[in-house]
Amino acid sequence: MLELHRVSRVYEDGTRAIDNVSLKIGKGEFCVLLGPSGAGKSTLMGMINGLVIPTEGSVVLWGEQLERANLKRFQRRGGMIYQKLHLVPRLSGLNNVLNGLLPETSLLRSLFNIFPEKNQRRACRLLEEVELEEKHIHRRAMALSGGQQQRVAIARAFMSDPNVVLADEPVASLDPSISRSVITLLKETARQREATVLCSLHQVEYALEFADRIIGLRAGRLAFDGSPKDLNAQALKELYGTRPVPKMEVEECVVPEPDFIPELQVA
Amino acid sequence: MSPATEPFMNQPKERYNSDSWELHRAVTPKLIALFLLLTVLIGWSAHNTEMDRAALENIQAVGALIGIGDSKVVSGATGFIRKAFPFVVKSKTETERLDNFDPDKLPLFTHVENVTEREYDTLTDSYSEVDIQYLVHPFGYLIKVLVKMWETLEMAFWGTLFSIMISLPLGILSARNYTPNKAVYSGARGLLGFHRSMPELIIALFFVLMYGFGPIAGIFALAVHTSGVLGKFFADEIENAPTGPQDALRTSGAGKLKVLRFAVLPQVLPQYVAYVQYIFERNIRTATVLGIVGAGGIGMELKGRWDLFDYDHVSTILLIIFITVMLLELISQKLRARTM
Repeated sequence: MLELHRVSRVYEDGTRAIDNVSLKIGKGEFCVLLGPSGAGKSTLMGMINGLVIPTEGSVVLWGEQLERANLKRFQRRGGMIYQKLHLVPRLSGLNNVLNGLLPETSLLRSLFNIFPEKNQRRACRLLEEVELEEKHIHRRAMALSGGQQQRVAIARAFMSDPNVVLADEPVASLDPSISRSVITLLKETARQREATVLCSLHQVEYALEFADRIIGLRAGRLAFDGSPKDLNAQALKELYGTRPVPKMEVEECVVPEPDFIPELQVA
Repeated sequence: MSPATEPFMNQPKERYNSDSWELHRAVTPKLIALFLLLTVLIGWSAHNTEMDRAALENIQAVGALIGIGDSKVVSGATGFIRKAFPFVVKSKTETERLDNFDPDKLPLFTHVENVTEREYDTLTDSYSEVDIQYLVHPFGYLIKVLVKMWETLEMAFWGTLFSIMISLPLGILSARNYTPNKAVYSGARGLLGFHRSMPELIIALFFVLMYGFGPIAGIFALAVHTSGVLGKFFADEIENAPTGPQDALRTSGAGKLKVLRFAVLPQVLPQYVAYVQYIFERNIRTATVLGIVGAGGIGMELKGRWDLFDYDHVSTILLIIFITVMLLELISQKLRARTM
């Protein structure tokens, strides 16, 4: 249902952010996108939701090629979760979730912020599913904790009943204990709705634990595509290079030699 | 080796190339020329604007205050001050001028005063004494001024309201990221600039021609001018709003207006409230002077009394304006502390 045909994204200076990637993702798959920073994960996702236009190749969703003309229609069938959440900070959690249904809400209703009760109910159920308590839903998004905000973001992404949900490093800013529950919620919510999820992660252990399929990108190229059990040490090394995978890079510190300091003699 | 003959640094050299390098100089011929030019320009401008005469008058005024000679400035000020106090609080009306005046049924709080005044008769060229009966209201004038002040506040309120109504759509159209196209953008920006560049008093003159004397002209003048200011603020705020939430809503397929409503408006609202508050305060201050050109409010009363040399009435008006502006400043500071 989601196909990428030899897509590339070439910048003017000749760098290829995405280089000749072909993919086919089936319905209901929970795919995890792995790869070092700058490998093109976000760009690839951007191509699927229309934020980034491929310079070569084509994106085909449900047998139809993604073009500028049908972009809005496609976007309505997809949900997006961002690393930096992109909730509207001063709106309540509930309102942020309702925002996911803006394309289906009439202009007049949207302008006055009067959402139909049916939609509000739906938003509440989603919030319940992502385990946000009632006392939090009317609080402003900026007053919620990071984990709560990410739950709201997940609920928002699923509000429009999407066929595809793209999650760009959804747990990058959360602590490990919350990260696990957020990914669990994401997977569970998607499973119940048979939605396809493409989720980029930095934590290989989560990928191994949750993914149905792992897609590895390196320098814009497809470096790995398979099930978690195929992702062995050799494959990881190919994907991330010689760097130790989960650890932060520590730049080598060069301590300069002390310069020769002239001594002034005082008679 | 003594310190004086000791070579500087530890690599002695006969000659340093850097000895001929050009050093930084604070005073250059260019700077002196510029300074002279500026002096000439400022001198010329000072003469143009009579600053030389002002200096002279001020010196004379100081002299007059310590008892040497006399000064136009001081006599002008004392002329006002002598008549300005005490503040006029009561109102007096000749009973003869009142229709169906009944001395047994006086209006609330009023009393009747009989005053004997000398009246000059031009025909006989002599003075005669006339008894005039006045109906006196002890707070009559104060109440009149307060009513006028309230009218001024109302003018500022309506002016601000209309200003928001004009500037909100224009502001959105002149925000680069939400304008439909370049032509509309330039048009809206241009219109806002035009509104901004027209001072209230001048717009009020035109509106007085169109709508006659009264608050309508004042309200419209305030609305037009401040919409130019407010619209620019609104537009800039929209342009600077964080783009993340906007992108998030846009990629979910929401249209421009809906993105504006849900991802921009909530974010800029506190700032908008602050701007509107500022404009309202400013409008109150401006509304007090708009009456001078006949555009309603307390300024009309002020101008009328000023032209009649009723400086004691003028001082009452000035006092009320001062108190009102102070009070509003206090209130808005409290409000701002709460909204921020």
